[in-house]
Order: sequence, then structure tokens, then C-alpha cells
Amino acid sequence: MKIFLSRFFLMSIAVLALASSLKAASPNLGGIAPRGWQRGTEVELTFTGARLTDAKELLFYRKGIETTKMTVVSDTQLKAMVKISPEAGLGEYGVRVRTATGISELRTFYVGALPVIDEKEPNSEFATPQKIAMNVTVHGVANNEDADYFLVEAKKGERISAEVEGMRLGTIVFDPFVAIFNMKRFELSARDDSPLTGQDCFASIVAPEDGTYVVLVRESAYGGNGNATYRLHIGNFPRPTGVFPSGGKAGEEIEVTYLGDPAGSIKQKIKLPAALDPEFRIFPQDAKGICPSGIRFGLSNFPNTFEVEPNDTPDKATLVNFPSSFNGIIEKNGDVDCFRFKGVKGQVVDIRCAARKNGSPLDPVMTLAIAGGANVATNDDSGGTDSYFRATLDDKEYILTVTDHLKKGGFDYTYRVDFSPIQGTTLVAIPKVAQYSQDRQTISVPKGNRFATMMTVQRRDLAGDLKLIAEKLPPGVTISVDAVSTGIDSFAVVFEATKDAPVAGSLSEIKALPADPKLACNTEFNTNAELTFGSPGQSIYWRYNMPTLGVAVTEESPFSIQVIEPKVPLVQNGSMNLKVVVQRKEGFKGPITVIPVYSPPGVGTIAAITIAENQTEGLFAITANAGARIKNWKTALLANASTPTGVVWASSQLFNLEIAAPFITATIERSAIEQGKTSEILCKITQTTPFEGKAKLELVGLPLKVTAAPVEIDAKTKEILVKVEIDKTSPVGNHKNIVCSAVITKNGEAIVHTLGKTDIRIDVPAAPKVVASAPATPGKPAVVAAPVAEKRLSRLEKLRLEQEEREKAQKSTPTPQKK
Amino acid sequence: MKNSVLTGACALLLLASASSIQAIAPVSIAVFPPDVNMQSARGKQRIIVQASYADGITRDVTAQAKVTISDPKIAKIVNLEVLPVGDGKCSIAVEFEGKTTQVPVDVKDAIKDRPISFKLDVMPIFLRNGCNQGGCHGAARGKDGFRLSLFGFDPDGDHYRLTRELNGRRINLAIPEESLLVEKSIGKVPHTGGQKFAVGEQYYNDLVRWVDAGGPQDPAGIATPVSVDLFPKTALLDGKGSTQQLIVRAKYSDGSERDVTSLALFLSSNDSSGKVSPNGLVTAGDRGEAFVMARFSTFTVGVPFIVLPKDLKFSFPPTPEKNYIDTLVNAKLKNLRIAPSATCSDEVFLRRIFIDLTGMLPSVEEYKTFMANKSADKREQLVKDLMERKEFSELWVLKWAELLQIRSSNQVSYKATLLYYNWLQDRIARNVPLNQWVQELLGANGGTFNNPVTNYYQNETDILKVTENVAQVFMGMRIQCAQCHNHPFDRWTMDDYYGFAAFFTQIGRKGTDDPRELVVFNSGSGEINHPLGGRRMAPKYLGGETPDVVGKDRRGLMAEWLASPKNPYFATNLSNMVWTHFFGLGIINEVDDVRVSNPPSNSELLQELGKKFTEYNYDFKRLVKDIVLSNSYQLSTQTNPSNESDTKNFSHSSIRRIKAETFLDCISQVTETKNKFPGLPLGARAVQIADGQVSNYFLTTFGRATRESVCSCEVKLDPTLSQSLHLLNGDATTQRITQGNLIGKLLKDKKTPEEILDEIYVRCLSRMPSADEKTKVLALVNAEKDKKQVLEDAFWAVLNTREYMFNH
Repeated sequence: MKIFLSRFFLMSIAVLALASSLKAASPNLGGIAPRGWQRGTEVELTFTGARLTDAKELLFYRKGIETTKMTVVSDTQLKAMVKISPEAGLGEYGVRVRTATGISELRTFYVGALPVIDEKEPNSEFATPQKIAMNVTVHGVANNEDADYFLVEAKKGERISAEVEGMRLGTIVFDPFVAIFNMKRFELSARDDSPLTGQDCFASIVAPEDGTYVVLVRESAYGGNGNATYRLHIGNFPRPTGVFPSGGKAGEEIEVTYLGDPAGSIKQKIKLPAALDPEFRIFPQDAKGICPSGIRFGLSNFPNTFEVEPNDTPDKATLVNFPSSFNGIIEKNGDVDCFRFKGVKGQVVDIRCAARKNGSPLDPVMTLAIAGGANVATNDDSGGTDSYFRATLDDKEYILTVTDHLKKGGFDYTYRVDFSPIQGTTLVAIPKVAQYSQDRQTISVPKGNRFATMMTVQRRDLAGDLKLIAEKLPPGVTISVDAVSTGIDSFAVVFEATKDAPVAGSLSEIKALPADPKLACNTEFNTNAELTFGSPGQSIYWRYNMPTLGVAVTEESPFSIQVIEPKVPLVQNGSMNLKVVVQRKEGFKGPITVIPVYSPPGVGTIAAITIAENQTEGLFAITANAGARIKNWKTALLANASTPTGVVWASSQLFNLEIAAPFITATIERSAIEQGKTSEILCKITQTTPFEGKAKLELVGLPLKVTAAPVEIDAKTKEILVKVEIDKTSPVGNHKNIVCSAVITKNGEAIVHTLGKTDIRIDVPAAPKVVASAPATPGKPAVVAAPVAEKRLSRLEKLRLEQEEREKAQKSTPTPQKK
Repeated sequence: MKNSVLTGACALLLLASASSIQAIAPVSIAVFPPDVNMQSARGKQRIIVQASYADGITRDVTAQAKVTISDPKIAKIVNLEVLPVGDGKCSIAVEFEGKTTQVPVDVKDAIKDRPISFKLDVMPIFLRNGCNQGGCHGAARGKDGFRLSLFGFDPDGDHYRLTRELNGRRINLAIPEESLLVEKSIGKVPHTGGQKFAVGEQYYNDLVRWVDAGGPQDPAGIATPVSVDLFPKTALLDGKGSTQQLIVRAKYSDGSERDVTSLALFLSSNDSSGKVSPNGLVTAGDRGEAFVMARFSTFTVGVPFIVLPKDLKFSFPPTPEKNYIDTLVNAKLKNLRIAPSATCSDEVFLRRIFIDLTGMLPSVEEYKTFMANKSADKREQLVKDLMERKEFSELWVLKWAELLQIRSSNQVSYKATLLYYNWLQDRIARNVPLNQWVQELLGANGGTFNNPVTNYYQNETDILKVTENVAQVFMGMRIQCAQCHNHPFDRWTMDDYYGFAAFFTQIGRKGTDDPRELVVFNSGSGEINHPLGGRRMAPKYLGGETPDVVGKDRRGLMAEWLASPKNPYFATNLSNMVWTHFFGLGIINEVDDVRVSNPPSNSELLQELGKKFTEYNYDFKRLVKDIVLSNSYQLSTQTNPSNESDTKNFSHSSIRRIKAETFLDCISQVTETKNKFPGLPLGARAVQIADGQVSNYFLTTFGRATRESVCSCEVKLDPTLSQSLHLLNGDATTQRITQGNLIGKLLKDKKTPEEILDEIYVRCLSRMPSADEKTKVLALVNAEKDKKQVLEDAFWAVLNTREYMFNH
């Protein structure tokens, strides 16, 4: 014991020494235990991961959880006491650990209403269930082929509800199944998947008699494993299968009816929020408890109207006011609901039928038709499983029809049709840099340094320049970003922290708003953490959507980089080397990798360069294709370096990169040359942008052992001959893709053009002619000696000439045979 | 008792009749065709007279019969052929050995010539003479530069190739006799296929006549054959060398009839018993059966021939007839002069019925109870008991899971597979009538999780594959051939194939909330076109009508038809499938190879089983009961001289290798060891494996179906060397014996070596060891100190016996 202690002590010291001597990189977060807890209580959470030594803060994406104490156990473990407010909303909470040097991945934590207990094996047989009290949340694991049985007691008429959070915990692809049995093993309620809870499940009964009941949890195909953790809520809480209506007018109080609860319908009055929150949920609640998961509830700016059966045919359609939100239920198999309303001339509306989105089993098919006339639009799945279309209305009566895709129906097949006028929207996001990874989805800016990211913006019904705004950034942090013009959907953003910015973090709000303040626009930032994925095709099963961006100011980085802004443009079909300068902190010698952040359309770059150990400069090659968009762009380069504790990042400043049209263009004549000969190739130059001084032209991509000396041109050159020497052993055949590189110097920097494209054919020398005394080709010496001004012969002209000469020679010289 | 007396009496009678067969007059005579209808001056009809004798023997007595025509102004008879003389009706009177019969004759347009037709006259010549066979010009690329459609599936294409493809080459309109087509056929110019016929023959004349007429294409709407009859309908020939002439008559869509004996192609399934000449004369050979077929146009029709040794002396032994199955099996055996084996012993029955009904072996207690039971109906009692067991339905779930290809893949999740399997298990366990759940399956719509039966349409998404699978699984038809050409040995044409495929063209599939789930629905649109000419094909039931599908779910309609008495193949095919399970051999074999040219070995039996199955409202348990309670099922495997060579008439029980899953379960059972399969709890039986993807070395070696196709051939029951080696050396025997430690436990229970040996034998073979076996083994045991080792070796030896590996 003594030995163990001392060893442990020494090890701890070693770890601490290492940690304090080096600057840690962004932390890594693997998991949180326990996976959830009861609201209104305090709990110690254990975070496991890597580089957690300098943990500073837990960044929760929802309100309601407060950190009261943090203890770093080791570099891989962190303990935190959190106080969950009694008012905290139920369900999923995204959280990250912020350290002095970065922000971790996002993991989730669940808040429930019931006290938590742990599953205890052996409970894998019906005969040996784990006896538990009613109204608890059990934390369990469904191992491979494992079945977990729990025994509860209930009085006759008492509701027994069981709900499992499994897939929703975002740990692994785990599809739970739940069932409630009586002691005769008769299944009273069982469910696998549900539109309300996805792959998760719930079952609910009213106890038919006093006694004990058994709840079973297992993986639906017996495929669990040690990571298949679940939270099983067992209690008297209501567990309906639907709600009607499934939405209401924002800001108003509404009475809803929960459907499908085994104890009967439940009515509840709810005060709706004033803002149109697409994630708004309502929680079925009565005197016995509150349902662990909420039902998504639609909010709109218009009052509700309701279908009145029978309305199965257009002539029996329910007459409703417009605008309003239509609500109904496809009550039985084959049911069709028709609504009749009067449109407003010229009004363009987005019409959405929300059913599956709100947890209804209905797979709606929606049709809009002019009353007694033609169909205007029909749709099944444009809104995910729900229906959506846009329609331009007229001053006419319309029939809107809703039915199920498989002609099914049921008491909880609720739906809601919302009409929304067209409004510009922007959706900003950070694209993933690696599949299924949360890498670089948050921003960690070292003090006095920069960090850059690419962002994307999707617009809808909005044109014109956009400006990107970041609010609630940590103190001392600013962003640099170019205006986002129409047609551009991605761009570089550089976050910069001042030298004296405190080490801190925040969840910042990112908006892309029209530069024209008169234009109305809904803007949203959304990035998501893909938490679980699996077959088929690595489908994402659970993700956490984040409306804010985690930004942190971290301790200083051991290096910073700067790009020397080019003074000349990068021309289309041209290339350029960007000069990257590194400033190293004393003692930091390691190699630095530089990668691109954002490449404008038509611009390609090298994937990465490495600035070697102790070096301070590097050249970063970029090229532009013929279609590169001509514009003054702004971009940045990002660099990283390995430190003993992980990878540290910093970026360059946002620098200008001008894409311009080429100054000159050229066409290069095709030629055929024999091995061992010297020839000339004609380049015709077109001048488009005047330049000063001389430009150097060189043929590039020549076949083996073919040489061509560089030539110089000036702003007046229209044609130039390039002398080409073919070796006797140069490979015979047609050689393609030979281009001309032209370097124009401006402001002391090179503008590299790639011009023309031609073929050179290398032939085997023709056999010596039989007529040894054939006259010398008259043209040949002239070409060699001729000044450039003399007319050059094309290949075809040369061949014609050769043939003429041959014919002449045959006529003038008697044939040898006749001799 | 009364039965056996009667049978005995019949046998005596048979014996008497067999000895003096020639002396006795026939019991009846029949003339074929039963009526003669001739249209046009070219009409003709050959007739045959068949005499039947009391013992079932038939003779072709056409030459001996006296044939007279009632009105020579209407028809005349030349060389056994009826020829038209004038319009009107008359009759032919036939008399033979005192028996008489009459055939009506109807002649129309007796003096009007019929124009030559390419499809009616020329195309059959190509078929009859083998020109359009796969090995000749019917090959995909033709032969020697000339292609005909395989077996004439594309007459229009053939007309084009003859007349237009190479202008002026193949036919010579100026001098028809010098057409290359004609000259090649008669061997006047070199022809790889040799001379097919001679100048002046009917074929030659018709070809020349056609070319002479300008090689005309037939007018649209020309009559097409609608049915073909082959006469006589049955024949039982007495001794080598006896003959029977066949005649073929075709009926056309315009109501006309033609004697096409000279244009039909004759084939025999067994040349050594019944060889058929190109002109349709069957000559009896060795004792046996032959199915003689005639192919004309797209039709293949056949007649079963039985050939017996001349003047065979035979008496059918007294055999119990427990139900209709025995009656029909015995009737066939009587015709064949085959005596069935005796009924098997109780021990044999016990083991056989346990394996067949439950896929398990009887336990020692079950053995003792059954053997001690003295009641007369103890076999019935046992069957009733076994059919109530869960294992009974599990065995059939496995069977159907193979046919429905329940198998996970990159596209189909294990969850979907399991739900699909559970769906099937539920239907079979609840004994839902087969037609009901088959209809549910084929017409399924919905999500693959929500309504798991829709997995049927997720497993296979190719329209043509689905079409072929449905035909093969539920109707036993392999219609694949007809995808590219008319089926050469069956009735299915490309029209049938694509007409049936049209039921599956409107299957919609879409994703839903769960990435693993697929929603199958009726998309209401989608058609299929005939590859020849691109006609849009209207949905047509395979061998049935063309229903009105407008605005309806096509699959729903098809399912309703397929699994109903309207479909003549459904009940018989499923009955045959059930039969095969218990006999190891189908009445049609293979079960999924139903075609005209592969006739049932006992057509009456198959029809009766199908009829009963339909009457039972597709309650397959009742059918199973009929089968296993029949004496035919309970026959011994021991043969007698008359049935030792019989392999297809169920005159004795067959020795069958036990199916891989069942065999592994039996080994686990006798050794008291547990299996572990992925996705199933420890101790699960191999027959419970839901997913075709899951296997192990043992199951693969013993031929477990991979469920990659619907073919019944997926389950392999052939013994192989690797199976023997695995049983000798693998972990299936030695390790399991050690693991289960059965001998150890028995020794611990103070059982004597003799008792233990008895236990081993009863457990594995459901019988006590013979005195000889006992003496030998006990001698070894007594000689050795380590009794356990020797007894385990004996256990191992029993597990390696053929008696254990086979169901007998």
C-alpha cells in the first residue's frame, strides 16, 4: 500500500510537472458521467478526455445548469459539481470544456425530473428482475443480447409509463426497445421506435390490478454492447402519443389535448413564447408527473383554424379563414382532409405541412388546387418526411388537401399546415473539415494572435451584399471578414485577440445580414456536432445543433504567421507563391504546417506546406484556372504545429488576393520535327494589359532531351520564334500539353502566366533520298537565316512544298532504273 | 381387414389377366382425335385407335381396326388420314375386336385453298428441323452468318432476316428452288447442319411455295395457335418393341384446327424406355417410364408412357391405405407393377417423425414412452403432439426464411431482418392460412420496420428479379428463360414474362426518418415494355387473364390472384414443397422446376394434394398431417426386388441426409452442448437463426442455404468429404462429447456401461444396440480401465455412423 502510494505520488508529480512546463493545446472530451441527473439537485460530473489540466469553464448551450466547483483530477479527468436549477428545462444539454488553451468537443448531458438510480445485474431474466421504486430514472447498459428487467409495484388504475433515452444520448447507435409485462409474462404495452422519440421508445399502461409489473429494456435487435447506455424513466407520468393542435399563434395562451395516453386524453393550457422558435417543445404534464421528453410544437404568426369532419372531398371541404394555420387529424385509414380558403392575388407563400416534424405518425401528402379547377401543387416529402411547396396565390378559392402517403390514419395522425410569406433568410455555418469530426468547429484564438476559419452562407430569397457580424465575442476579440457579395457562398473569417485580452470564452452569435439595412432578413447560425453514425453508409443517427459559436481566447501560442500580401495579381491560368513569414517564440523550434483556409472560386492551392524546424519562411503555391473569378478577394492561411501536449493553431492576417485577367495570351503553332534537328516554334502573342519592361517566355513540358532557350518579349511583341533543339534520342511520337510560361515583373514581383497549349511531333529522320544530287531545299536555309519578318511556312505549306520539290526533282533527274 | 381381402382378390385377378393378356378382348377402344374438323382443301387429320385392356395395358390398334366413313361425299380416308371431299358433317365408325366407337367429322371450305403463311407454315419447319435451336441458327449470334430467333420467339425478326437483311441472298424470288434457304436445307450446297429434308417432302414444298409466293409476311391478325393437344393422353405399353403412334393437333385463334403431327418436334424424357421417332412413333424399350412430349409453336405438351416387361407376372401385396395419398400412390405403383415396401417399425417411425416434424431427436424418455404405448393410434397421437410444439413451426419458419431470402446486407439492416423473421414466425406459429400471409407479403406496403413484410421488396429491387422470384417461390416456375426468348421447354413466352413483370413495375421505395428503414408503396406509375418492338405490356397473370388494373395497386391484385384457387399452380406447388420435406423428393422434382417437360411423377396425387390443400383453406398443418399419417410416408427404407430401382414413385422411404441446421441441433441435443450464434442467446438452436448472413463452419460445410437466391438448390444435401472429415476430426463431435460430459454424468449417476451404451444408442439412433454391437463394445469397455474414455469413443463412433447422419 505504501509502495503504491508513493509510486502514485511520483507519477502525479511527473504529470503535473509536464503539464505546467508546456502550453496545452485544445482539450479533448470523450464522455461525461453520469449521463444525466435530476433537476433541482446538485451532482458531481466526471469529464474524461485529454488535455483537461487547465480546464477553466463548462460552456453549456442551454440555461439552467451552473458550475459550482471544478477539480482537475488528471490531464484526462475533470470533476465538476453542477447545480441544476429546479426550473431547468428537461432533456438534452450540449456542453464543452473550455481550458486556458482551447475548447473541447461537444458532449451531451440530460436533465430529468426524477431521481436517478443505477441498473444492477443480474436482471437479465424475467424471473430475476431488479426491483425498483416508481418514479425513478434508471441508468443502465444494454450489453450484447442483454435484456434488462425491472420490477415495479402499482395499484389498480395507476399509470405506469416507461421511456428510454438511448439513441438520444448520442453515445453509439443504440436502438432500444421497451415493454411492460404482467407477472404472467403477458405483454401489456411494447414499443420499438416512435415518431415522437425516433429510435428511442416508450410504453405506458394503466395497471389493470394491484400488483407487480415488469419492464423490459433491450436493444431492438439484441445488438447492444458495453457502450449502449440508456436512461429509463419509470413513473406515473403521462406518456401520450400525440398532441392536438400541434401548434399555435406565438405569444398566445392555448389549450392543447394530449392524445394516446393510456389514462385518457389530457388537456393542458400553455402560454406560447412570442418568438418563432423552431425548437419549441411542450411537455405533457399532470398531477402525476411530467413526461421526460417534449413534443415539438409549431409556432406561427397566424391564429389556428380546425378541420371539421366530414371533409373528405373538395365539395365538403372545411371553410377556413386565410391567413391562418390549418389543423387536423387523419383519423382513419383512407381519410382525406380538405380545406377551402380564399387566396389573395399575387401573394407568394411557403406552404408547409408539419406532421412527422412534430412527432405525428402521419406521412403527409399535400395538394393545393383551385376550387373546381386544376391542381396548383402537390408534394409528399420536400420537407423531410413532411410536405412543402411554394405557391403564388390568386384572388380565387382554393382547396388544400392533406392525406397520408400510405393512406393510413389514426387518432394521433395530427398535422398542421402553415403559410408563411416570403422573407429573405441567411444560414451561416462552418463547414466540416473532416467527416464525422468536430475538428475546428469552434474558435480558439491565442492572445495577441489570430485564428481563421471558412464559413458558408446559404441564402434564400435574398440578393445583394451581406455583412458578417459576430456578437458576444469574448473581450478583446474582433473579426476580419470581407463583404459577401451575391453568388459567393463561402469566405474566410479571421478572429483576432489583442495581446491583453483575458483568457475567456463565450458562445457567440454569428449573423449574416444584408448590407442594405432596409432589407428584412432572418439570419441563423447553425453548426452541428455529429455524435453517432452508423450503417447504412455512415448515416448520422444523432446530432446536436448549435445556434451559437464557441469562441475562446487562449494562452499565447508559441508562434504566429503572416502572409506578405502580394503586390501583383494572380492571373487566370497563372500561378503565384505566397510568402509566409513565421515568428517563433523563444524556445519554439518545431516545424510548422501551413494549410489554406479558403480558396476563391477557380483558385487551387497546395494542400499544405511545412516550414521546417527553425525556419521562418515558406512559399505557399497557388494557381488560378481560366475560369477563376476576377475580383479582389480576401483570404488567410492557417498554420499548426505539434507541441508535446497537442496541436496548436494560429492563422495569418486576412490578406488581399487579386485575381485578374492575363496580361498577355498566346497561341503556339504545332510542329513536327525530326530527331537530331533544330527547329523553331512560332508563338503569336496578344497583348491585353500593357506592362513595362521585358517578359520572359519559356516552353514548359517539353519531351525528354528537347531544349528550348527562353526568349524575351516586350509590350509590342506580336510574334516570336522559339528555337527548339531535338536530340537524336528524343522520343518519337506526338507530345501533348506543351505550354508557354510567361513571367511579367511588376512592383518587383513576378506575375506568372501559363499560355497556349500545343503538340510537338518528333519523327524518325527520313531515309536518305535515292537521288543524292537532289537540289537543296530552297526554303530551308532561308528559314534558318531569315529575319522574323519573312513569311513562315505552316506545316501544311511545308509538306506541299516538299511534295512540289519531289515532283520537280523527279522530272529534272532521269530515274536510276532507266539508266 | 375387409380392405386387405379385396386387395388380395384384385391381385389374383391381375395375376390371371396378366398371363392371358392377348387372348382377352379390350375393355374399351378410343379414337384420337375425338373429333375431326377440317378447313380448306389442305386440311387433313391422321387418326389413331388405342385399345385398353383390363389390366391397364394399352395397344395401338390403328392398323387392325376397321374404319369406315359414313359419307364419302364429305371425307375420305387415305393411309389412316382423313381428307376433305366436300363441305358438311359426317362421322367415322371404328370397330376393333367387337368394340366400336364413332368420331364426328366436320369439313368446311373443302375445295378452297389456304394461302401459304410464314408463321403457320414456314416457322414450324424451322422448329421441327432444329434450324432455330441454340446450337444452330438460334444462337444469339446465329450460325455461319445466319441467325434465327431461338425456337422462333421472334417470327417478324426471322422474316426480316430471311427477306431483307441481305437482299437477294437468302431467298430467290425468281427461281424459288434455288433460294439459298432451300438449297441449304436439302443439302444441295454445303450446310454445317447437313441435309434436313429432301426435295419433294412437305417441308421442301412449303418452303418453295412460300418463296414462290414472294416470301410474303403474314397479314396482321393472322390466326395464332391457342392450344395444342397430344394424343393419346396416356399409354401403358406391354413389352419391348411395342409401339404407339402420337398425333398432335393445334387449335388456332380463329377457331380452326390443324393436324400438326408433321410439324411438331417430339422429345422423350427417357429414350431407353420410350424412344420417339421424329414422326411421333413411340417404341417401348426397357421397363420404366417416359414422358413423351411434342413441341409446336410456343406449346409443349406431353404424355406419360409406362413400359412393362412383356407378360409380367405381378401381384400387388396387401398394403394399408390410410388416406387418399396411399390410394393414389398405390394406384401408380399398381400401374408400374411395383410392390411397396412394408410399413416401418415404431423405432424407425419415431426417429423419422421427430426429425421431420421438429428437427430434433426423441429424448430417451420420449423413446421409452412411445415404445411402451400399446394403443393402436399411438403414431397419430405422437404426430398430434409434435405438431403442437414450437419446434414444428420453427422448422417451417426456417424453410420459408430461405425462400424469402431473409438476410441482412449493406442495404438491409439486421434489425429489419429480425423484424421480418419475427413477422414470418408469427404467421407460421399462429397457423395463419398460407394464402393469407402470402397475399399480405406480395401486396405489402409500408415501412420495413413498421410493416416488416415489406422487406420482401427491399431485399430485391430489380423488377425482373422480383418477377422471377415470385414465380419460382410461389408457383414453382423458373421463367428466367422467357426474359430473352420464349421458354424452350415450357409454355412461357416473352409476352407471359413481361406481362407478369408489369405487376411489379409500380413499386415505390423511399427513405424515411430512420436511415435503415425503407418505405415501400404503390407508386401508381411505371410500365414495362416488350424488348421486341417496345410494346407496353399490360399486367397479365402468369398463365391467367389480363385484369383491369386502372387505379388499382397492381401487386395487390396479383397477390389476390396468385394465392387463390384461381391460380392453378399455387396449391399444388406448395403441396409439393411440403411433400418434398417429408419424402426428400418432390412429386415434381425439383420443387421449383415446374414445367411441362418436367412432369409430376404422380399427377393425380399432386392434383389431389393441391385440391385438399385448397379445401383445407390453405391450412398447411392439415396437409402435413395427411402426409405424415399416410402409410406411404411410413414405409420402410428396405426395398424389395420390384421397388429397389424405383426412385420417384414413393414405393419405399428414402434415406435422406439431415439438413445442416437440424443436424447441428441434433448433435447439440445428444451431446447436451450449447450453440452460440451472433444475434442469438447462448443455447439457441441453429434453426432459429434469423439472418441468412449468419453461419458457422459446420453449417456452411453441411450446405446451409446462404439465402442469396430463392432456388431450392441453395440447401445442399449432398454428402461431401469435408463433412465426413469434420465429423471425424472437427469440433462437432469430439469436443462436444467432452464439453457436454454426458458419459461423465451418467457414470456419476452410477449407470453401468451397458446402460450407458443403451442410452447412447437410444439418444442418437432411437433404437437399442443390437446384441452384436453390445457384445463388441462391452468387450472393449471391460478390457479398458478408463471406462469413460471407451464409452466416449463409442459415443463418438455412433455420431459418425451413417445411421446417425441420415434420416431413414
